[in-house]
Formats: sequence, structure tokens, C-alpha cells
Amino acid sequence: MKIAVVVQRYGADINGGAELHARYIAEHLSTRATVEVLTTCAKDYITWTNEWPAGEETIRGITVRRFPVSRPRNTQDFGRRSAQVFDHTHSISDELAWLDSEGPRSPALVAHIGRVRDAFDFFLFFSARYYHAWHGARAVMDKAILVPTAERDPAVGLSIFGSVFRGVRGLMYNSFEERALIHGVSGNTSVPGVVVGVGSAIPDRTQAWRFRKKFNVKRPFAIYIGRIDENKGCRTLFEYFLQYAADFPRGLDLVLLGNAVLPVPTHPRIRALGFVSDDDKFDALAAADVLVMPSPYESLSMVALEAWALGKPVLVNGRCDVLRGQTVRSNGGLYYETYQEFAESLFALEASGPLGAVLGGQGREFFTQHYSWPVIERKYLDMFDRLTREPAREAREPWPGWWARRQRTQPPARQVVDGVPAGPVLR
Amino acid sequence: MSDFQVKADAVDVEAIMRQIRARVREKRGVDYTEAEVQELAQVKLEQFLDPKGLRSDLVGQFRRRRGVSPAPPNYAFEDSTIYETHRGLLRAMRRLLNPLLKLFFNPDRISEALHVQARVNDVSHQRLRALEEMDSLYYELVHNLALEVTRLGIEVHNMKMRVESLSSRMDFDERRGRALESVVQYRQPRQTAPRPAPSVPPIATAAPAAVPAETMAVAGDAGDQGTPADRTASADGERRRRRRRRRRRPGQTLADQSAAAPETAGTDTDAETADFVAEGGPDTGSDTQDSGPDKQ
Repeated sequence: MKIAVVVQRYGADINGGAELHARYIAEHLSTRATVEVLTTCAKDYITWTNEWPAGEETIRGITVRRFPVSRPRNTQDFGRRSAQVFDHTHSISDELAWLDSEGPRSPALVAHIGRVRDAFDFFLFFSARYYHAWHGARAVMDKAILVPTAERDPAVGLSIFGSVFRGVRGLMYNSFEERALIHGVSGNTSVPGVVVGVGSAIPDRTQAWRFRKKFNVKRPFAIYIGRIDENKGCRTLFEYFLQYAADFPRGLDLVLLGNAVLPVPTHPRIRALGFVSDDDKFDALAAADVLVMPSPYESLSMVALEAWALGKPVLVNGRCDVLRGQTVRSNGGLYYETYQEFAESLFALEASGPLGAVLGGQGREFFTQHYSWPVIERKYLDMFDRLTREPAREAREPWPGWWARRQRTQPPARQVVDGVPAGPVLR
Repeated sequence: MSDFQVKADAVDVEAIMRQIRARVREKRGVDYTEAEVQELAQVKLEQFLDPKGLRSDLVGQFRRRRGVSPAPPNYAFEDSTIYETHRGLLRAMRRLLNPLLKLFFNPDRISEALHVQARVNDVSHQRLRALEEMDSLYYELVHNLALEVTRLGIEVHNMKMRVESLSSRMDFDERRGRALESVVQYRQPRQTAPRPAPSVPPIATAAPAAVPAETMAVAGDAGDQGTPADRTASADGERRRRRRRRRRRPGQTLADQSAAAPETAGTDTDAETADFVAEGGPDTGSDTQDSGPDKQ
């Protein structure tokens, strides 16, 4: 079996959620099938500037073909078009222009996919909202399997994505909430789909003392791992934690791992250690009492899975359906919506408290049952088998004509997404 | 913070969250989420601004108007502006005929007025810009005020409810206290003192069986008569009174006590006798339950 993994960026040093997800899947499937990665030369997800050379290379035993991005993103133009399609009635042409503007615009990549369609059994497209996934999936619709990595943001409500969600052969969802969202916006319940998620590269041994010694961390602490950004809920986290630190002078410290886009408050109980190696990250997780995930938008939190894999409880933003759903289903942590809940939950999850170890243990069990690599690989292989056995659907949705594409009849995408029932899938 | 109820190895996150929320509710009074507070803030603002049912969308208006408005059209007006033209010959002729024009009216005044107007327009535009900048501040201010007022309103509401709850509890406690006072009974004396003989004076005879020993002793003192059993009871009562007096004056030394003993003892005995009589011991019978040290 030959599988093509198509993703917007690819590299051993790229730690973005969907990209890392794609790399893990490619590397693990490569033991069961021939895998090739088709991607762009971009490294920066904001500008999509070509930074890697076009052509073929091998990364960790996987063949990677890079194609240049024809036009870097103009952030002002993208912002203007986003406002237009998210908040106003618009046309399909407006949506296509938005997709072009979002990027990474790489016609060469799409053309290559069309050329090699017969060389692969299936094409795995990661991140439905980007140019490469939409155009690529339409080029090889009968062999396309989509890994949407969709969050509850307005982009999912654009009408152009509906035809792709309904037209691909299969979908590999990250969570039940993501599946419910995509079913809600596109009505693609008849398309084969399975909730898979992704595993992680969990080390066999972690050494908490090494982290404490290396970074001179002596007190018990809660940890945040990821980009320190307002979009990730870090501003609220800082606000809540500063209040918590004032209310509980002997409570936990907060350690932050990741690049800071947002200024980190100067406080003796907040330590920002910047971007650290994977070894340090896992050692830090092992040393922490609890992982905090304040992000309001997530399609799957890999770092939460990693925390569970190490038997650590998590404290997540209860307003994020996916995080809350995962936490409740796993019984591996608590969630908060207000400061009071944040403080009470943090207290409950401290290592000295009664709950942390129990919830962490349940999280580990959940991880082993649902997110260990054998389970993930089996789900992918089962999907390939199923799609190989089932014939592809012949009928394809007709694409609107020139005039229809220019009629401003599409509702604002935000309105479409808001119309889909929200909330975690608890059981 | 109190501990959680962890009953087994397997715990239910939803159950824990219910406990946490219950505790938060206990502390805060009402469990509003931030979204609910925001919603309440909007609703209250609208109600405040729209008492007559008129459309009120101040917040929305503010948000829409937060952008900077485009500059209004203006012109630069100089003395020579009214003679300007791209045709050189025409410009020369206008200048040539200017004295003739001035025979009919004074164009300098018009030029001056328009020049001033252009400057006024500039100043007005600058002020408008400044006001627009202030608008965003006002928006933030009004928004934050509305939010805070709503929070305070909710808090005041909670406080009122708490005060009501506390006052109702206090009323209940008072009523309970009174009820207990009205049903209190004396404990039966432990020593098996025989019932008073018929020869006992009327004041002692009239005392009910439940009258305590000291009361009986008082009666004995008052009458200075009685059986040997009465006298024993009387002596016992006297000892108890002495002990009570010692307890009542913790600050006194032994010498003080012994110095003051005869007078005090007499006074106390008299006072107790007076109390007893005043509270109707011999006359009203069962009413003696209201007094005495052995209240139950």
C-alpha cells in the first residue's frame, strides 16, 4: 500500500499541532506501508515564506517532496477577506479568494497531486482549512482521506468546505466534538469517519529531578506547554494565576514552556523557560503537579495526552468543548470556567491533594486505551481496508457555475458555525 | 478549602466538578459564569437605556463607531486662490482687471473670510478626531462601569439574601430560646428527702414536691422550724450556697470572703428568699420552675 501524506509544512523541527500530527502519522504508518510526504517549502505558518528548498529529501526515513509557495500571505488582505466571509453575506468566489489569501498557495503541489494520483492508494490531507487540502482533495477526491484538525472557528462554516467534507472517501477525526461540528456544518454523516486522534512520542523514562536541577525549580508547580499567546488563553491564565498566587501564598508555582508571543508577567511564582527540548519537556511534565491548558480553541490537545501518558492530571478551559469533553471522558482532570473554579480545581489537583494522583492514573489508562500507537495505527489501517473494499462513490457534487459562484448568497460563516449545537460530547 | 470526597480509586470528574461548583456557590452565593455575567450586563444596560421600550443598542453602536471617521473635505484658501487658473493669459488678465473688480465689491474680504473658514475647518477636524479618540475611552469606561455595576448589583442582591437568611435564623433562634425558657423544668433533687410533715409552717408546706433543696432550706430558714430531715436538707443547701458564693466572687481572697461572709450570706439568703417569694414559690406552686440554679 502506498500512502501520500499532504500537509502544509513538514520538518523535524516543526512543533505545530497539525504538522506534528502529520509527521507522527507518517512515521508510524511507514512501518506498515510506503509513505511519502507532499508539502510546501514554507516554514512560517503566518507568512508561508519559502524557506526550505524545493525538491526531494528524506526526513527520519520518510521521503518528503517540497513545492514552492507561489505567493506569501498578505496578512492585511487576509484579515480583510476573513472579515468579509466570516461576518457578511458573500459569494463562493469570495470564499475562494479567502482561501487563496490564506495560503499556503502552491499550485505546483496541487498539480503534482493530480499527476501522481495513480501512484498512491490514498492521499491523507491534513488541516482542511488550508489551500493545499481543499484543492488537493478536489484533485483526487476518490482517494482523499481528510484529517480535518478543525476547531470551532468560523472557517469551518464556509460553504466551499462542505463539498469537500461530503466528497472525500473518509475522515479521520481528532475528537467527538470535531466530528459533531463537521456533521453539523456539512451534513456528511454518510461519509465513513472515525475518531482517531494521535499518539505521541512518550519517552520510556523521565527524570523529574533532572528538570528541577537544570532549571533550579524547587517548589511544586503547575505547567503550561505551548505557544504563549492570547489565542491560546494565556492572558486569562496569567490573570487567574496572579489572583491565585495572591490568594494562596503556599500554592503551586506556574512554569511556562514555549515561545512567548505575549508578555509574561513578572512574578516570583511564574517561570517562563522558553522553548525547550523534548527531553526537558517530558522531564518537566513528570516534575509538575498538573498541566494547565487554558486554550479556548483546540481540536485535540496533544500535550494533554502526553500529560495523561505520564499519569499527570490536567486542568483545562471548560469553554473549549473538545478539552472539556476529553477531560470528562477520560476522568483525567478537571476544568474551569471562572477564577473560583480555577482556584478550587488547582487546589484539588495539587500533588498533596487527594485527587491529582487518582485522576492522573485514570488519564494514563485513557491514553493507553485510546491513544497508544498500536490503537491509532490499527484505526488507520482499518479505514484503509474498509475504503479499499468499498467502491468509491461515482456521483460528485456539481460545482456551481460562473454566475452562481459570484452571487452573494452565502451566509456569514460565523453564523453557520454558531448555528451548530455546541458543547462537549460527554459520554 | 475543605477536602474532596474521594471514595474509591475511580472518581467521576463531573461529580467532582459538581462539588467544586457547590463550594464556589457556597462562597459566592450565586453561581454565575462569566458569560452569564456578561449577558446580565448587556441586559441591564439595555434596560437602563431603554426604559420606554425604545431600541437601545448602545454597546453595538459604540463598537461600530470605534473606527476613525474619514476626514471631511477641506480646501486651502489663500489671497490668490480666487485668481488661480491653469491658463497663464487668463491669470494675467484677472490680475489686470482686479482694480476694476474692486470698484464693485471688496474681494479681499471674501478671501479673508474663506481663509478663516478653511482654518476653522482644520481646527474642527482636529477636535473631532480628539473626540473620536475619547469616544473609544468612553466606550471602555461605560462598558466597564456597566459590567461593574451589574456585578455589584448581583453582589448586593446576594448580600440582601444573606442578610435575610441570617435575620430569619436569628428570629428562629430567639423564638427557640424563648420556647426553651418557657418549658424548662427543675431537676428532681437526688437526696431522698422525706416530704414535709403536716406540722411544717404554711410557706414550706405550700412548696411543691419539685422545689429544690435550697428552696426548701430557704423555707426552713425563714420559718426556723422543721423536722431533722428538713434541717439536714437545710444544712446541705447552705453548703451549696456557700460554694456558689465562692464561685461568684473569683476575684476575692479567702480573707475577703471570710470577712464579708456573714453580711453577704445574709444578703444572699434574703435576696434568694425574696426572689423565691416574688416568683410565687408558695403562692403559685408550679411557677417556681422559672427560677433556681437547676434549670434543665
